Amino acid sequence: MRVFGRLSQEQIVFGLAVLLCLGFALALPGFLTAQNILNLVRSVSILGILGVAMGLVVIGRGIDLSLVALMAISVAWTLQLATNGMPMGLALALGLAFSLAVGLLNGFLVAYVEIPAIFATLAMGIAVYGFGRYVMFSLDVVYLPQDAEAFRWLGQGRLLGVPTPICMFALVSFLAFLFLRYTHQGRYLRTVGDNLAAARISGVPARPVILMQYMIAATIGFVGGCVTAASVASMNTRVANSTMIYDVILVVVLGGIGLSGGKGGIRNVIVGTLLIGVLLNGMTIMDIQYTVQNVIKGVILLTAIVIDTMLNPRDEQTAQQGDI
Amino acid sequence: MTALLELRNGSKDYRGVYAVKDVSFTLEQGEVHALVGENGAGKSTLTKMLAGVVSPSAGEVWLDGKPVSFATPSEALKAGIAMVYQETSLVPSLTVAQNLYLMDDKPFHRLRGIYIAGQQFLQSLNFHVDPTALVGALGAGQKQMVEIARAVHHNARAIIFDEPTATLTPEEKHQFFSLVERLKKRGVSIIFISHALEEALQISDRITVMRDGEHVITDATANFDREKIVRAMVGRSLSDELYGKQDRQVRPAGAKVLSVQNLSMGNMVRNTSFSVFAGQITGVFGLIGSGRTEAAKVVAGVLKRDFFHGGQVRLDGRPVRYRVPRPAVQDGIIYVTEDRKLEGFFETMTIAENIFIGAMAGGRVKSSLVSMGEMKQIAGQWTQALNVKAINTDARVIELSGGNQQKVVVAKALVQKPRLVIFDEPTRGVDVGAIAEIHKLINQLADEGVAVLVISSYLPEILQLSDRILICRQGRIVEEFDGQKTDEETIMYAAVH
Repeated sequence: MRVFGRLSQEQIVFGLAVLLCLGFALALPGFLTAQNILNLVRSVSILGILGVAMGLVVIGRGIDLSLVALMAISVAWTLQLATNGMPMGLALALGLAFSLAVGLLNGFLVAYVEIPAIFATLAMGIAVYGFGRYVMFSLDVVYLPQDAEAFRWLGQGRLLGVPTPICMFALVSFLAFLFLRYTHQGRYLRTVGDNLAAARISGVPARPVILMQYMIAATIGFVGGCVTAASVASMNTRVANSTMIYDVILVVVLGGIGLSGGKGGIRNVIVGTLLIGVLLNGMTIMDIQYTVQNVIKGVILLTAIVIDTMLNPRDEQTAQQGDI
Repeated sequence: MTALLELRNGSKDYRGVYAVKDVSFTLEQGEVHALVGENGAGKSTLTKMLAGVVSPSAGEVWLDGKPVSFATPSEALKAGIAMVYQETSLVPSLTVAQNLYLMDDKPFHRLRGIYIAGQQFLQSLNFHVDPTALVGALGAGQKQMVEIARAVHHNARAIIFDEPTATLTPEEKHQFFSLVERLKKRGVSIIFISHALEEALQISDRITVMRDGEHVITDATANFDREKIVRAMVGRSLSDELYGKQDRQVRPAGAKVLSVQNLSMGNMVRNTSFSVFAGQITGVFGLIGSGRTEAAKVVAGVLKRDFFHGGQVRLDGRPVRYRVPRPAVQDGIIYVTEDRKLEGFFETMTIAENIFIGAMAGGRVKSSLVSMGEMKQIAGQWTQALNVKAINTDARVIELSGGNQQKVVVAKALVQKPRLVIFDEPTRGVDVGAIAEIHKLINQLADEGVAVLVISSYLPEILQLSDRILICRQGRIVEEFDGQKTDEETIMYAAVH
């Protein structure tokens, strides 16, 4: 194994993505065109935006399983309000406020009630979905009102020739990167994920930081939802019941943000997203069945984790001697 | 007579870095062999080679005059070599008897059967442990008894103890020593790794000193004294600098910074009262379980005192009640933990980031955004002040030795410019050189007028550092001594009775 040197999972995944790219470029005519590359990134940019949201929570040693459900319901509610005649700006503000409220509740349950994040957010996702479908609107697909041109641009427009979803992904990633690196709160987030007890004793406001991390995730989720809705001119709330949340976790874990918290950064999310993007795009061009695609995705994730474990063992002695 | 167990010219390297280099080591039949050295001297690696936990990269292990090679620890155990670790390897959710018979090659055990057998077996060893008790509910000393019983149950002829007394109270230590005597009478050979030199001198037949992965000296214990071992360990004489009686003045008490009255928390802290003064080191001595750590944690807001009749804590005469540590930190009360890995440092972060977190959380950072330059500057200043040995401040804390990790944790606390620092076991698991440096630093703090509280279960440390000594017993501060007009026996007497 030493020939490889010390590679991180991020580098391995990036290498895999490049290899796949090369393979597809050689085997598939039309893969390596500017148009296809833009399409490729565009198709995964929403996954990437959600990945950034999930990534921030996972770095803080949490997980947010309500992310996709909350995104679907809050954006669908916004569209419903706009359709009912509310000005778009106000509708968006209400949708965002709803997202933030749910994020706050998630954070409260995890930080103050001290429920494990996986259960708190799982239950919250189900509750939010049910609440939305029962109280906020009745159809499971809510369409964008015809007159919302500015909103539509968010998903279908272009900025300097680049589709706006890609720009939004870039913007969200950049802001999240700045947040993690240059703000006190961003640094605190990492300490909470690394070692909660040590963070507390050092005087880090640990519980407010946890509240914050779920609220940020909800906000980014809302942005991702808006881009989704604008791209297809509607919000299909059934994504809340799809496997999308697992794809988001896949992107985060594949990129190398450890579920044990504290590790990785936004770069990992981008790398993970790119690999998934290349893979999905190539498989779609090759016309591989959806079910087979799932098998391939699963195998890729396992491979990445296995290689990472072999190259970066938790403990040198156990790696050389095998687990006892 | 052939030696029981031997390592011949053994080496072990990790990617070219030698943990143990060309060391030969002999364990005779029925002897107690102490292995001493600073942290990172290669003691643990050496014994792990003997016990089959790691395989030597060069050299051979000989058992009864024949070369052997153990692939796993269980093979070594079958050959009669058992290792008892510092962190116990028992299953906490199983009972004592289940743990004892866990490794037997039998798919099923009848519980009643093993309880009866376990009872008889433990009694034959004169261990007072209930075989039906859950291991998780036992104290450190009893856990160790179970570990030892398990080794004896597997007919171990050689038992390796890695820092066996580190977590034991003095009474438990005493029991442990008499146990070693009994094992020796049964013909069991023992390797005993320890930091505590007095213990090595007290119970061993021979002593081997290691330094930087190499063998320094092996000789009969009678030919050693403290001074000689320390000199061999560090290559220079540190003893006066460390624990020698120094002619020093007791610092006079400054202003009363902290005053605690009738503090209570559950059944760990019971209605205790004490004060801490500025410009002075107040030492707290107490056995493990005496509530000293808990009392300190309540003061620093890490734990909450009882809601009703919880007592009063006053900082500069002002009553304070912290529910989380953050306001305490902002008021200048800093707690430096006894368990740095669990609640001290951030292992995924660099030295600079760790120290900077302390500065940020303590409100000691100039800009509201993180400035890399300021981080470098603060980290550079503190690593220099505390003499942290690392290539640069971008090294990750997890890669440092125990002593340097502790210094980073201390730096992370001191960067917050505290008025009252509580050091809980400041030199646990720290090598001899770093102990001296940390002690110097603690003295400096007190000289600068900071109120310092040092909690330790190591008597020489308390005696050497403290201007006043408080004795904690059963959740209460029970006695106070002048730092210079007392001795080890007096303190121990107060702490145990």
